[in-house]
Parts: sequence; structure tokens; C-alpha cells
Amino acid sequence: MSERDDERRPVEGPAGDLPKDLHLWKLPRGRHGLPRELVARSQRERLLAAVIRVSAAKGYRASSVADVLGEAGVGRETFYRHFKGKEDCFLTANDALVADLEKRVQRAYQGPGIWPERVRAGLAVVLDWFAASPEIARVMLIEMGTVGPIARVRFRGTFRRFTALLEEGADFAESARDLPNIATLAGGAVFARVYEEVALDNGATLPGQLPQLTFELLLPYLGEEAAARERASAERELAERAGADAAQP
Amino acid sequence: MGASNSGQRETGQAREGPVGAAVLTPSLPWDLAARSQRERILRAMAQSCAEKSFAGTTIADIVGKASISRATFYKHFANKTECFFAAAEEFLAELGETAGEAGATAGSGTDAVRAGALAVLERLARKPDHASLLLVETPVVAPEVVRRCRSMALDRLEVSLGGREATAEASPEMAFGRANLLIADQLAAGEAAALPKLLPELLYVALLPYVGHDEALDQARRIA
Repeated sequence: MSERDDERRPVEGPAGDLPKDLHLWKLPRGRHGLPRELVARSQRERLLAAVIRVSAAKGYRASSVADVLGEAGVGRETFYRHFKGKEDCFLTANDALVADLEKRVQRAYQGPGIWPERVRAGLAVVLDWFAASPEIARVMLIEMGTVGPIARVRFRGTFRRFTALLEEGADFAESARDLPNIATLAGGAVFARVYEEVALDNGATLPGQLPQLTFELLLPYLGEEAAARERASAERELAERAGADAAQP
Repeated sequence: MGASNSGQRETGQAREGPVGAAVLTPSLPWDLAARSQRERILRAMAQSCAEKSFAGTTIADIVGKASISRATFYKHFANKTECFFAAAEEFLAELGETAGEAGATAGSGTDAVRAGALAVLERLARKPDHASLLLVETPVVAPEVVRRCRSMALDRLEVSLGGREATAEASPEMAFGRANLLIADQLAAGEAAALPKLLPELLYVALLPYVGHDEALDQARRIA
């Protein structure tokens, strides 16, 4: 399989079944009355969750299959029934996470509203995602870069699929004619900030950066004035959210 | 290939890392040999990173590509990471010099920015392995080098623009991120030779925080 093919490979995984809190994946050990198929499925999921936790804690390079087995409470033979090795397991887990994030972003992006509003909604999902779990954020962004060439190609492919969501903007933005890579220019600003915050363990600050990042994301398409209008909407949205949180007991 | 660079490397003491024993030895022929070995090692590191990423690169890969012994490698570098840092730092310095010279020749203002940006793109196009080492691998292996690269690029940009500070609303740091992704994407597509064609977009991105969207777009159009 060439690198290009790998990049185009559609991402599939147990995305729909991916619990937000990965710790839920760890089932109690010992006898239980579950059907064989369900056990296998949960063993696979436990391994996926374990490889993420272990890689986040120790780093992908420093962790071994044995670490993953220990974390998942699964035997070696079972591991190799599901995965070819550590890299396969790690990449499968990453693909599942990416697919889940993509689905959520798509859902938000395809919601109601004009294009800038939908872009902002999609961006909010991305920022919330990377803030929600420092472990997942670290694995998807930082550890993914330490795996090797296959992961590198897949990572690029992911970035490109996310920026492709912006392509609709080129239909009406005049600047797109002069900036053929406008989606990369726009998405690059957000990516750089998200990557840096996660690398510095500041991922939790990302949702609060929605106004500025909305502005930077839309700027190449819309210019300062229109991008600032959307930034103001994002500020209102954050204030409302904070108000709603404060109202909760 | 190595000979073309050796002219600028007369004062090697600062460049040599902590294991720069080679430069401390006054005997010239040996010193020259060591220097060319070091250059070969750094080039081999860049090649191997381009092929199989830093993570997949082993000392054996570097030693094989540089046609040196393992012992020679360890005379220059303590380990793979130290070697990577040296390769990234040296290429970064090279880009800085290139941009500085081109910018200074062009005078000041937008012309200087354009000349500097073009010089950088041309150098990256000529050395795609080093380009991918710096833009693709360094953020993972040595994020502090990327931050240094960013402040270097932004300082130079401000100098070129006559000490102008960012006045428009866009963040200069994020402008650097845009440029980084723009170039890295082109490298990942295997289109390094076409990097100079990105000049209008790179100019747009560089000017965005200083002159704003309309003016930056205007400048990009003018050279497209």
C-alpha cells in the first residue's frame, strides 16, 4: 500500500460507541455472563482505551505491548488476535478518535445558519474536544507525531480533511481566487494554536479562545470586519455559556 | 555538495555542539575531515528523517547513509536526538542568513519581506530533506526550536518593515503557524520544487498582522 493510498483510506472505527470517558472502558476482571462476541468487542475496546492511556502517560515510544496489556487487563494472545502490534493498536485507536471528532464537527458544521456561523460551530466542537481530555489531546496531536511514517501520512490526511470543510467558503470569498491554499492558511492558524496549547498542557484554555480563533479562521475569507462580527457572536456565546454554568447548582 | 558550504564555516566553534571536540583540535587537515564528516552526518539525518521520520530513524541508518563508522558518529554526537538538534539548528541558522541577506539587498518595507520570503522558499526547495526536518519533524522532536524559529522570523519581519509592530488584529504567532502549515503541506505532497510558487500566499500571511487583510491581499495579487 503506498503512502497516498493510506492517506485516502476511509477512517473506520468504533467511533459511535466511543465513550467520552475512556476510563469507562475498563471492565471488571473475572467471570461475567457476557456472550463471547460481546467480550471480544469489549476486549478490543479496552485495548484501544489502554493504548491511549498508556501512550499519554509514558509516551508512545516508551510504552510496550506489555504496558497496554496490563492497563487493559487482557492477555497477550487476545491482543494479537485483534492487532498486529503496538503501532496497529495505536493507529486504530487514533483513527477511532479522529472519526468520532470528525462526525461531531460535521454535525455542528451542517447545522443551521450562514457559513461563518457554521464554521464557528464546528470550531467550537474542535476546541471543546481537545479541552475535554488532555490524554486524548496529547495522543492525537503530540504522540501521533512520534509513531513513524505511516502515522505522519495519516496525520496530514486528517488535517486536510478538516480544512476541506472550509472549502465551501471559497465559493463566495473573493480572496480565494488569489489564495489557492486558503483553507490551509485559515486552518493553519487554528492548528498551530491548538497544537501549541496541548503541547504545553494548556488544552483547557482552548474553549475560551473561541472568539479569537473564530476571527483568525475566517479572516482570510472575509477580512477583518466580517470576521470581527463572528468573533463578537462567539464572545456572546461564551458569555451565555458561562451564565448557564453559573446558574447550575 | 559539502564544499559549497565549507566557505562559510571558517569559525566553527560556536556551531559545534557540546561534543565539538573536532574543532578544538588545531591540526587543520583533521579538522577539515571532521567537519565534512559532521556535515555528512547532518545530511544523512535529514535524508533519513524525510524517508522514515525521526522516530523511525536509527543510528545505523545515519551511519550507513553518511558512510562513516558508528564510532565516528559518537565522536560528534552523544545520541540521535543531539544530532537532530544540530541539524535543525544549523539549517535554521542557514535560513536566517539567507533571508537576512536577501532582505538587506532589497532594502526595506514590503520589498524586503518579499525578497526574504522568496529566498527562504528557494532554499527550502533546494533542500527538501532539511525543509521537512525543520517543518515536519521539529515541532514533534524539538518544539523549543520551533518557538525560536518563530521569534526569529517575526523579529526579522518587523525589522524589514522598519520596526513596525503588529497593528492589524491578526496575531503574528498565528501567521507563522499559517506559513508553517502552508509549506509543510506542500512538502508532504512531495512538491518541494514548487515551493517558490507559494510566494504570494506567504507574503499575504506575513503581512496580514501588520497591514491587514485588504492591503496584504493587494500585495499578494501584485506579485501573483
